[in-house]
Amino acid sequence: MTGKTAIIAANGGLFDAYKVYNIATAAAASDQEVAIFFTFEGLNLIHKEAYQQLPMPEGKEYFAEGFKKSNVPSIPELAAMAKEMGVTFIGCQMTMDVMGLEKDAFIDGIEVGGAVTFLEFAKDADVTLTF
Amino acid sequence: MNANKVLDAKGFACPMPVVKTKKAMNELESGQVLEIHATDKGAKADLAAWAKSGGHELLDQAEEGNVLKFWIKKG
Repeated sequence: MTGKTAIIAANGGLFDAYKVYNIATAAAASDQEVAIFFTFEGLNLIHKEAYQQLPMPEGKEYFAEGFKKSNVPSIPELAAMAKEMGVTFIGCQMTMDVMGLEKDAFIDGIEVGGAVTFLEFAKDADVTLTF
Repeated sequence: MNANKVLDAKGFACPMPVVKTKKAMNELESGQVLEIHATDKGAKADLAAWAKSGGHELLDQAEEGNVLKFWIKKG
């Protein structure tokens, strides 16, 4: 491992998901240790049902064709790839409680933790990003 | 240039060329050369940066039509 990348995913649209997973997989492919903290609407990005049908921003639906044409991987594919490359997924316990969601609503292999869990990882990260 | 392995990453968008390169590189020994074919224009800068950050050596790159070719020696 050549460094650490800490990412906060706080938004739940399709574009947000691509930003998070593209950077996470690229960092993992560059030998970075990566953790993503999914909080508030960011939880959509790891929710079993929601992450298969994340919304485009309003008025940007015409991007759908571009995504298809560019052969961009789907979000579930990118999430699986990130997991396979060892990216740590942390679901925010507090947001899950607020939204009444249990761990089994999310994809396999996530950890559940609070802000401190993420901060502990991020305190000596080389790169910290928020999306 | 002689390569020990050829990776076809044509038709894949970012970040797939880098992810596939990483996986292919895992199967090579230090000093061996991976040849990569890609059509993602972003790969031009990305693979160069990837090689540098991973301690590998980008030996050469070329463009043939819309196909970008790279030769990276594993560090």
